[in-house]
Amino acid sequence: MSNQSTSYYVNRRQQNWSRNQNTTRYVSAIKLGPVAHTVLVALMIIVLGLIYVTQATRTTGYDYEMQKIDSQIADYDQQKSELEIENTRLTALETVKNSSVAKEMTASSNTQYVQQ
Amino acid sequence: MKPSALRHGSRSRILAAVILGIAAIFVIRLFYLQVIQHGHYVALAQAEQMTRERIPAKRGEIYAMSGDSPVKMVLNETVFTVFVDPSVITKPKEVITVMKQVAGGNVRDDMEASVNAKELRYRVIANKVTRLQAEKIKDAGLKGIGFQAVSQRVYPEETLASQVLGFVDTEGEGKYGLEGFENEALKGVDGNLETVTDVSDIPLTIGDRNVRNPAVDGKDIVMSLDRNVQSHAEKALADGLQRTGATRGSVLIMNPNNGQVLAMANLPTYNPGKYFEVQDASAFNNETISAPYEPGSDVKTFTMATGIDKNVVRASDTFNNTDTIKVEDRTIGNATKGKTGTITFQTALAFSLNTGFVTVAQRLGDGKNINRTARDTMYEYFHDRFRLGQLTGIELSNEAKGIIISPDDPDGNAVRYSNMAFGQGLDATMVQVSGGFSALINGGNYFKPTIIAGEMVDGEFKKNATPVPLQSGVIQPSTSDQMREMMQAARVSSFGRYDKQGYNVGGKTGTSQVIKNGQYSNTETIGTYLGYGGAETPEYVIMVSVSGDNKELQGSRDALPIFTDISNWMLDYLKIQPKG
Repeated sequence: MSNQSTSYYVNRRQQNWSRNQNTTRYVSAIKLGPVAHTVLVALMIIVLGLIYVTQATRTTGYDYEMQKIDSQIADYDQQKSELEIENTRLTALETVKNSSVAKEMTASSNTQYVQQ
Repeated sequence: MKPSALRHGSRSRILAAVILGIAAIFVIRLFYLQVIQHGHYVALAQAEQMTRERIPAKRGEIYAMSGDSPVKMVLNETVFTVFVDPSVITKPKEVITVMKQVAGGNVRDDMEASVNAKELRYRVIANKVTRLQAEKIKDAGLKGIGFQAVSQRVYPEETLASQVLGFVDTEGEGKYGLEGFENEALKGVDGNLETVTDVSDIPLTIGDRNVRNPAVDGKDIVMSLDRNVQSHAEKALADGLQRTGATRGSVLIMNPNNGQVLAMANLPTYNPGKYFEVQDASAFNNETISAPYEPGSDVKTFTMATGIDKNVVRASDTFNNTDTIKVEDRTIGNATKGKTGTITFQTALAFSLNTGFVTVAQRLGDGKNINRTARDTMYEYFHDRFRLGQLTGIELSNEAKGIIISPDDPDGNAVRYSNMAFGQGLDATMVQVSGGFSALINGGNYFKPTIIAGEMVDGEFKKNATPVPLQSGVIQPSTSDQMREMMQAARVSSFGRYDKQGYNVGGKTGTSQVIKNGQYSNTETIGTYLGYGGAETPEYVIMVSVSGDNKELQGSRDALPIFTDISNWMLDYLKIQPKG
């Protein structure tokens, strides 16, 4: 069977395009056999597979990044919590009462109110 | 060669048949595995790839007030349990040295034996190691050491308000106090995570079966309790116990205008962060809510209010006091003797004369007997209006109910009610008495006693709605006015010199006998004082109780000075300006 077209299928659109034009159909001189077709299809599948794997790996990379950030957030939360505890301990009444500043203080005298 | 050329029975044809047969077996097997057993293998794969984790909810924090601002009283801290796999440890001596250097105080006594127990795979060697300590241990790069994060409660104020707060046990459950009562609200709801993970257990977003339900953290509760008031109450109580020789004591301070508790102090006390060191579990109890007792003469204020409200008696009315009064076959006497003759009920209150209040109870009946009408009236006022012998519903664990014997009960006879008139023969808790007393002095509005002022939401203090009276008209406002005048006059006549001038401070002493082995003890009494203070209107109610095994403690001598100490301090702390 020849690859050169000998018959035309002319639909209406082609007919419109073809109006007043000389159309020429070029046919490649390279001819692919069934083995080459199979190899090409296999290559396409491999390429598509590689693209899929690349994308999936990239998503996983984001997961690692997220995990790292989550871990950092947890660390900062814990540090914040520790600082809050330390702050609360330092401002606890017993701590304040026993501080050197408090020990230097004198007892307050009776409160007096001014009549307005 | 064309297939059609294969001869019947040729070797090629047999080989083709064998290959076809093997292919058919493969197809059938694959069909079995992939179609029929599909669910089974999917489940196996998921079990291998999926990780299910609990996302623990953060337990809510507890705040107290410090003036107008909430301050943290209970927080959460992450600490680490350090464990070893002795079979993996290559440098046991270094492990021991590092552990001693970094976490000496937290290391278990059997740490060295655990590290050298090569036949074991898991041994805990230190508890409650801080994050910084854990990081230092990790930095040493030693093999065979692992860490497990554990959340624990921190109580920076140590023993302050311990019975109000309660504690959290090793299972993470709140016990006693607010931790126990509000356990579910404080705990929150754990979340869960189901996800595909890699070999390092890092969650991956691939897969369509990932589930993430975030945890709902516990509520951050703000108590109405003021830590400064609480601290002063505990100090005044401790001083009072030392002064009197009492071994137990409680103080309750309440705002009579909304029912909010400002302080609940109990001694002996404990540190909730070290609850496991407590030898006597009674230290966990908040005696102000969980120890009903016979309040004694404090209840005379309720009897008098009932009489005034029913228009059978006034402060200036008189009765003939003979220091004894007969009720059926019993004779009731006064503790304070000698105020005999025709005296006013004001005098009876000032000297706490039992005969005066039995007389009030009689006047609630036919004037001579504490008949059914008198008993029904007293029960209605004591139980239904002042709510003695009823749970108040305060948000703390282990509230006890107490008891007021009904007139319908065979024990609810005239003798019982004559005793109830001066505070014996009934059981009530301090929070019940303080709640009823608040209604008695605030014009007759009963507010539910509460310890919760609001909650913290996103760092902002959201106050609860302004409390409304649970019951109005407990007594008439005029009755309340007369009662305040009576109690103020009673206090001024005997103890007024101890109070700051320019304020209205009133109260009533109470000395109640203790029932031991079913009988009143002659060697042990509880001393109480119940009073209020303020300028034009009462701003606080304080109830003090002191007791001790085989100790005869008195309201006026032992409990009253503690009230006075706290009352004078409260006037300054609340910045209450004197009258006029």
